Amino acid sequence: MDPEQRTRLAQLRDFFLARRAQDLARACTALSGGRTAPEPGSTYWDHAEFAFNKLFVGPVALQAPPYASAYLSTESRLMGEATLTARKIYEMAGLTSPLQGSLPDDHLGVELDAALGLSTMAEGLDAEAPRALWDYFLQAHLLAWIPQFIDKARRAEAGHPAVDLALGHLETWLDHQTIKEEGMTP
Amino acid sequence: MTQWKKTDIEQAMDCPMTRRRFMKWMTAAGVTAAMPCGFLVPGKAEAGIVYEGGYETFRNACPRNCYDTCGVVTYVKDGVIKFVEGAPESTFTRGGLCVKGNAYLRKQYSPDRIKYPMVQQGRGSGNWKRISWDEALTRISEKFIEMNEKDGSMLGLAMTKYSGNFGITNYGVEGMFSSLGYTTRMVGTPCWPAGIDAQNYDMGNMWCNDPEDMVKARYVILWGVNPAWCSVHTMKYIYEARQRGAKIVCIDPVLTQTAAKADEYWQINTSEDGALALGMARHILDKGLVDQDWVTQNAVGFDEFAGYLRSEVTVEWASKKSGIPAERITRVAEEFAAADPATIWIGYGMQRHVNGGASVRSIDALVAMTGNVGKPGGGARYGHLQTWGFNYHAMVQQPPEGAKGYLGPAAKGEFDFTEDSKGPAYANRTLNINKTARELLDATDPPVRALWVSCKNPLSQDFDRNLLIEAFKKMEMVVVVDQFFNQTVEQADIVLPVTTLFEEWTVNASYWHYWLSINEQAVKPLYEAKSNIEIAAALSKKMNELKPGSCTFPADIDTKEWMAKEFNKGVYDLFGIDSWEALKNGPKKARTNRLAWGDGKFGTPSGKYEFKSELCAEHGFNALPEYVASRKPYDKLRLLTPHTKFGLHSQFINLDWMEDFNPRPYVYIHPDTARARSIADGDRVRVKNKTGEVLITASLTDNVPPDAIMMYEAWFKNNPYNCQNLVDDTSADMGAYKAGAPGVAIHDQFADLVKA
Repeated sequence: MDPEQRTRLAQLRDFFLARRAQDLARACTALSGGRTAPEPGSTYWDHAEFAFNKLFVGPVALQAPPYASAYLSTESRLMGEATLTARKIYEMAGLTSPLQGSLPDDHLGVELDAALGLSTMAEGLDAEAPRALWDYFLQAHLLAWIPQFIDKARRAEAGHPAVDLALGHLETWLDHQTIKEEGMTP
Repeated sequence: MTQWKKTDIEQAMDCPMTRRRFMKWMTAAGVTAAMPCGFLVPGKAEAGIVYEGGYETFRNACPRNCYDTCGVVTYVKDGVIKFVEGAPESTFTRGGLCVKGNAYLRKQYSPDRIKYPMVQQGRGSGNWKRISWDEALTRISEKFIEMNEKDGSMLGLAMTKYSGNFGITNYGVEGMFSSLGYTTRMVGTPCWPAGIDAQNYDMGNMWCNDPEDMVKARYVILWGVNPAWCSVHTMKYIYEARQRGAKIVCIDPVLTQTAAKADEYWQINTSEDGALALGMARHILDKGLVDQDWVTQNAVGFDEFAGYLRSEVTVEWASKKSGIPAERITRVAEEFAAADPATIWIGYGMQRHVNGGASVRSIDALVAMTGNVGKPGGGARYGHLQTWGFNYHAMVQQPPEGAKGYLGPAAKGEFDFTEDSKGPAYANRTLNINKTARELLDATDPPVRALWVSCKNPLSQDFDRNLLIEAFKKMEMVVVVDQFFNQTVEQADIVLPVTTLFEEWTVNASYWHYWLSINEQAVKPLYEAKSNIEIAAALSKKMNELKPGSCTFPADIDTKEWMAKEFNKGVYDLFGIDSWEALKNGPKKARTNRLAWGDGKFGTPSGKYEFKSELCAEHGFNALPEYVASRKPYDKLRLLTPHTKFGLHSQFINLDWMEDFNPRPYVYIHPDTARARSIADGDRVRVKNKTGEVLITASLTDNVPPDAIMMYEAWFKNNPYNCQNLVDDTSADMGAYKAGAPGVAIHDQFADLVKA
């Protein structure tokens, strides 16, 4: 993964782990290379936050839950097998979520953070193990649910340009990984 | 293994040993030393790989407002609940749960749970911002302090709470309010108060036999109760009684699932239960089937009651009123009087009427005059609070020094076991919970400025919803503590996420069976949920930070310790245990008190069963269990809004498993009634009355009588349906004596409908 892709990943992580409008403004400004027009503090970001919460946080029933388990369980629920798969992968990489047990390990923001760590690790060492782990996480996990998530978020009633921006970058990042993976296939 | 391939990783997902080997390799290679993560942190080696094969089990108790209050065994692995089952140690629960209990994981792990404290910019706008607990509590505390300064008291702060979580430590919400000073409390209950008072007038308490002894009954009348839906665990005792020769009669305006399983079903005219009971009583009297010995030894006022029956009641009159043919009334009356023992289970629905308390008294009298009170397998079964002798440690808190309050009498709810204050004359201001909308609007000096809602969903459950919306508009601040975004949260300024039963320590008793269960914390609270007592502690800390001395609730609490503080010697002796820890082995059953009035010593002023109650007369009702007319219809059809199978009041209906079977609300209409209005099955209809209207789909069924329509009380996640648009706040007759406010005539509502 080139450095630009890695930076993108960190920006997307920050977006999906955002707690409030300022966090969204910061993440989106970074995603657009500093070119986002509305100043942080403007109502634009309040509206972004309202949409973000309707889609991903609550308190309303989530329009696009940002949790792998919501897509990979037979019946949508959280803390399912996909959550534990994510947790096991983190553990194998020597990582753990500081909020384990309270925030499901397969929250999109957490997974993007793990992707950053795992991909860096895989490329930084000439060894099979970290590459195999990253490859598994990407192929069997991230690519198995994030496209569904993006689709669901795009079809949702709530929406905002800031969310579209992040979803677009997320999709591009995923495409990039897919192409790269396909390129590697003999 | 030196070379790791993708297939090895796949294998590692299922094999802790492989994962461990992998981690060792990674550590040895120094791979995990520096990673550019911003959220994840270095983990402990081999962390989390412990529960190979096995489960940790925890004891839980379903805390919903339900007869069954099931003991639950929760199976946890990797810090995640895998499944739940009924506690096998409880002979009542006997290893099984109901449709709702079995769906608990769908509740615990629903993506829809409220996760964080949030603030809404404009009530009902849907524009929510996430805030920290500190910010939420600061906003709330600043408002409370401002109100106190403005009003000179905390009376502008009101709390409404009832049965959303009956775990005893949740009375810490009341405790939190007491610790803030004298406040405004919504007191009373929409549930069962008329019947409680009726049984208190007749017998001196609400007390029923152990439901498990129903197997000894030779005759069972299920009167306005639907255990096949609402107390599934009791059904086995009813079946067993039948197996042993008992006849099962069900009396209900609606052909319920229970009615369908009975030997005989009577579709009674709604709210004419008193007339029917009195007609049966008259026939028993005429046939000389009264248990004269029991009545002479154990009762007062029977002669006057007999005189009333002879002068005012005939079987024909009862038949006309109730709609039940006279020959069936006489036959069942004779069978009931001849059976030994015979019992009647009086449901809560039948007392939700303007004559509900009077009707319960008439049925009590029928049981008593046949000598069936105080007998194993007998009794007028309604409910009991024999096993609720906790310390109410969380509830009993002192007001801050110098707090000013309401000068006047305060009412107490049926679960308020605190002693009356012997100190200053100040009290809380109490408002009738069954007239919440009106009372919030009318309260003055000071007005109610802020409302705190917990364990309750008033905008789904309280009456005259349109008026309640107006009342909410008047509030300067609304704080709602809940697990899901319901119609009340929709109208909140601040919502706070609260723990589920699996995330907190507490203890639970039943108002029906005699088992006691602890509720252990099985998993960490998800997201930022806190239990009600943790919220109270955190609020207290913030209040005192901003204004020292403004709240007495302890700021640092251990929820397990607080659960333990609810126990005392009385509880231990009743259940034959030395410590609450014994409950870790499963629920325990009370050793005594399971036979109501077995010693013939009643709690009435006379110490006897009182067919004639002077106390009842003092309270403005008839001294005798006389007939009281039902509410005069104010529209063409009676409207019934009973419980659904798929929920407990407004809970559970939003879960996906429930939605699969119960995706939308219906109004149930008799085919004749529908035909007269050109309504076909599946049509959209508009149900209207003086209170409001509901747009809903018609379902045609002759399970409901032609003069009534029915819709279940419910909150649907994706549907604005709300039956309280059609239910006004007219009071039931009784309830103020023991529950603090009269009940409410939920089933004395009327409406008409047209095709939409």
